[in-house]
Amino acid sequence: MHAAASPPQPFFLDTGAAARFCLYHAPLGPCRGAWLFLHPFAEEMNKARRMVALQARALAQRGHAVLQIDLHGCGDSAGDFADATWEGWLDDVARGAAWLHERSGQAVALWGLRLGALLALDHARHGNAPPALLLWQPVLNGSQALTQFLRLKVASQMLTEGGDNGGTAALREVLAAGQPLEIAGYTLAPALAQALDHLDATRLPPPACPVHWFELVADAARPLPPAAARVAEAWCRQGAHVRTQAVAGPQFWATQEIAECPALLDATIAALTGTIHAA
Amino acid sequence: MQPDEQALCFPCDGDWLTAVLSPIGPGALARRGVLIVVGGPQYRAGSHRQFALLARSLAAAGIPAMRFDYRGMGDSGGDPRTFEAVDLDLRTAIDRFIAAVPGMQEVVLWGLCDAASAALFYARHDRRVAGLVLANPWARTSDGLARATLKHYYVARLLQPAFWKKLVSGRFDVRGSLGSLVGLVRSARGGAAPAMQVPTPAVPAPGLRERMLAGWQGFRGPILLITSGADLTAQEFLDMVKASRPWQKLLADPRVQRQTLAAADHTFSRREWRDQVAGWTAAWVRSW
Repeated sequence: MHAAASPPQPFFLDTGAAARFCLYHAPLGPCRGAWLFLHPFAEEMNKARRMVALQARALAQRGHAVLQIDLHGCGDSAGDFADATWEGWLDDVARGAAWLHERSGQAVALWGLRLGALLALDHARHGNAPPALLLWQPVLNGSQALTQFLRLKVASQMLTEGGDNGGTAALREVLAAGQPLEIAGYTLAPALAQALDHLDATRLPPPACPVHWFELVADAARPLPPAAARVAEAWCRQGAHVRTQAVAGPQFWATQEIAECPALLDATIAALTGTIHAA
Repeated sequence: MQPDEQALCFPCDGDWLTAVLSPIGPGALARRGVLIVVGGPQYRAGSHRQFALLARSLAAAGIPAMRFDYRGMGDSGGDPRTFEAVDLDLRTAIDRFIAAVPGMQEVVLWGLCDAASAALFYARHDRRVAGLVLANPWARTSDGLARATLKHYYVARLLQPAFWKKLVSGRFDVRGSLGSLVGLVRSARGGAAPAMQVPTPAVPAPGLRERMLAGWQGFRGPILLITSGADLTAQEFLDMVKASRPWQKLLADPRVQRQTLAAADHTFSRREWRDQVAGWTAAWVRSW
């Protein structure tokens, strides 16, 4: 049984158009580390909120300071999703990290889920080497992620207009012509789409810090998905310290209902604190 | 310039709830605010941030708004619970909302889907609840869903030329679709539950409709009912009303105002729909 941690502290970092919603989980006892969480894209962020809260609380219980930040135009932060840019999100990462560093006195490690993990990797290569990276099911290829998002629009067009209207290629043309697209309630700006299209983890230099990489699989006996294994192996060959682990559980960022995955929480705690949490 | 939003954290029976308050302009006073109650598998920002944007829009119109996470949802602590067990969460949130806005004395509960049902259950037990905005209320029973699906989805699909083009070109999963159609027909006749994905709790609640009816009958304030044309949840609610004299009587009451967005889906997932809903809400809250 752990002593009770103080409640997580919600606040807005900065004001006006710069206001970013943050949730700070203070460490219980002496601070052993600091983690900045970077959320996934669009609706995946909503669905993952519960799992992230559970993990952040579990880490705080074990002496880690955790800060969640909602990026520009996302969640409770100021601005419209349509105005968000990848560069703006990188700035938000830097702001969140600076706040957490000041508060905790620790070098700030990055924890990212899905597209948040790709954002963490992109941030890390811009001369901001974190002490560690925690990747939950990282999106490795921004272009593929964009295609999947565009498919939501294609499916919706098929249902409401009864035709596929040229599929994702036609939607990419609309974006390339400078027109935003409204997809599943989110207005996607051409600039953000273009930035996503050029993000490829296989072309990033290997991280210069330990990487804890978790993939959720349907069955624990299954190996890591091939694309993840390829990237991890390539980074290891170049001297990076990458520890990959497949955990059986639901893809909680995409499930219809809110799903929890205790095995991922336990495996993450074990990896980051070197202790096995009793089941 | 709108004042900044405020992040709040407050206790609820030993757990901590997280909320965001959208205040109105400096110096302005409002007797009435809107508490946005979150439905379905969502947290306080709402699907595609609808509730964050709704709260900002209401605040800009001079109506303070707050949204929060139930225990076990989003950033709030505690164990998950269903929409049928959130009375204490609602009461605690109203307490905090009223304490946070000087001069505010009453609230309108705004709920989408099962949050509309939760708001109906709660409203008559708290005199501070002055009105209700119910968007696409959740009145699901397994046979009701099957009937609504058959009537509103499959019939519409069968009339679309594209459906037949797809069928002819072999791109339509005939086996799978017929399988689910058969399941629906069975369910509409009182058989097994359909296998179709639905937007919220998969298990129909026993006595849900009776509780909703009692909640509506027991609540004395005005009600704004907003329904989407392209939403099975809304169609199922309206089918229930059509089939029931007590419900028809309630909806015919002058204290009930109705708005319909014919093309909209369950969560109003386009800016024009979202803005229309926000506009109706603000105008209605200020109209009485």
